[in-house]
Amino acid sequence: MFSAQILKTRREMKVDVSLQLAPGESVGLFGASGAGKSTVLTCVAGIEEPDDGRVKLGTVQFFPPSLPLHCRPVGYLTQAPDLFPHLTVGENVSFGIPRQLRATKEQTSWIETLRDRLQLGPLWRAPASLISGGQARRVSLARMLARKPPLVLLDEPFAGLDRQLVRELIDDLISWSRALGFSMIAVDHQAEVLRRLCPQRAVVLENGKIVQSGTWEELHKNPATSMLRALLAPL
Amino acid sequence: MKLNRSWFTRAGVALFALALLYPFTALFAHVGPWQWGPDVRGPALASIRVSLLLTTFAMVIIVALGTPVAAYIARRRARERVLWQALLLLPILLPPLALGILLTLAFGSYGTVGAWLERYGILMTNSATAFVTTQVYVGMGYYVLGAVAALDAVPTMLQKQAALLGLTPWRVFLRVTLPLSRLGLAVALSIAWVRAIGEFGAVVVTAYYPSGMPVQIWVNLQSFGLPAVMPLLVVFLAVALPLPWLIHVLAQRRRHV
Repeated sequence: MFSAQILKTRREMKVDVSLQLAPGESVGLFGASGAGKSTVLTCVAGIEEPDDGRVKLGTVQFFPPSLPLHCRPVGYLTQAPDLFPHLTVGENVSFGIPRQLRATKEQTSWIETLRDRLQLGPLWRAPASLISGGQARRVSLARMLARKPPLVLLDEPFAGLDRQLVRELIDDLISWSRALGFSMIAVDHQAEVLRRLCPQRAVVLENGKIVQSGTWEELHKNPATSMLRALLAPL
Repeated sequence: MKLNRSWFTRAGVALFALALLYPFTALFAHVGPWQWGPDVRGPALASIRVSLLLTTFAMVIIVALGTPVAAYIARRRARERVLWQALLLLPILLPPLALGILLTLAFGSYGTVGAWLERYGILMTNSATAFVTTQVYVGMGYYVLGAVAALDAVPTMLQKQAALLGLTPWRVFLRVTLPLSRLGLAVALSIAWVRAIGEFGAVVVTAYYPSGMPVQIWVNLQSFGLPAVMPLLVVFLAVALPLPWLIHVLAQRRRHV
């Protein structure tokens, strides 16, 4: 079970968000640019510290006190791929796997699955600094999933990827989430992408506050604000 | 056209290099037959040994103490960082002779620390300890300031991503920060090395003995004149240059960046 109450003042906006997720559940954080969606993710990941609140995954308390980043069992996919430029694609994907586990049959097979599903085979030995933006996104997704984190945070995970690949990746993420049991919190400004990725539930943010939460159908039928109505229009 | 411009630029840089190296033509000046007899050779070889050994030791101290300090400063906010940088500039801003005088007064027998160390048999003037201490003070600021710039250039988000992938801070440093900043760190170290090994003004006050190469050059000039200085200059260049140059070569063997 993941639960978070995050209070964070950023510039002139006060983010005040509460979230709860069951194991394996996924939730889409939806809202206009600057609504505070990414701030929620950075506070959960530990990139920045909330001013107040509480973040907990199972028995592991992330905050307070602030748990060091390396002790947080989360995978965080940022808007920029943030690959290690001095390593190859393969080394990036295996980066977070402890040396003693790398050679195990289970781990090798999982890495091979990620490599094949994300179409990284031909790039495997290529320097990470020399691949395209779309390829880099796939590598960073593989790197994050290689460790099988119980909580996955996705911040606009498919920016820069073509539609067909996005569809395939969403299907993969959903099936991996079911197979591995990880929970997902995803942020995207495209309602269509978020609805496919997190079909169960959406949480809508405006000016740092939750203005509505529920199923996508509920949101579509009775949008709480005119801005939300406009954002959901493409659906 | 492109080729012409490239050759024009190269010729410009070559001209700059020639101007920079022009003083070295003085090595061929007529100063009389170079002296390398036993009375010059013996002390010269001893000074080479002193300089190489003790400067290496000083560099180990500089890297061991300076790198964590640089890593700390590199992650501070701009206002705090400029304060630390001002402090680091102080020892390197002083004329070397003045630094030598201050070190002697602070660490000599009459200083609090010097008197305390002397009780334990550690002499802070005219000793290997004094030599190394002076070189550390002379080179530390150069290394730390250079290292701060090198470490600051590594994107913070890459380090945080590495930590989120389960790496402890030490392993993040070894696997991400160090490889991505090694060229800058190498430059900082080589500048500290050349500054320390060539130091005369401060060392001549604090550690006339054991004589390093710069002091020996001075002694040769006073005792035998230029003919005894020239061979020592050549030897100095031959022994002082390879290490910083090698550091640059190793650091530039970058993998993919």
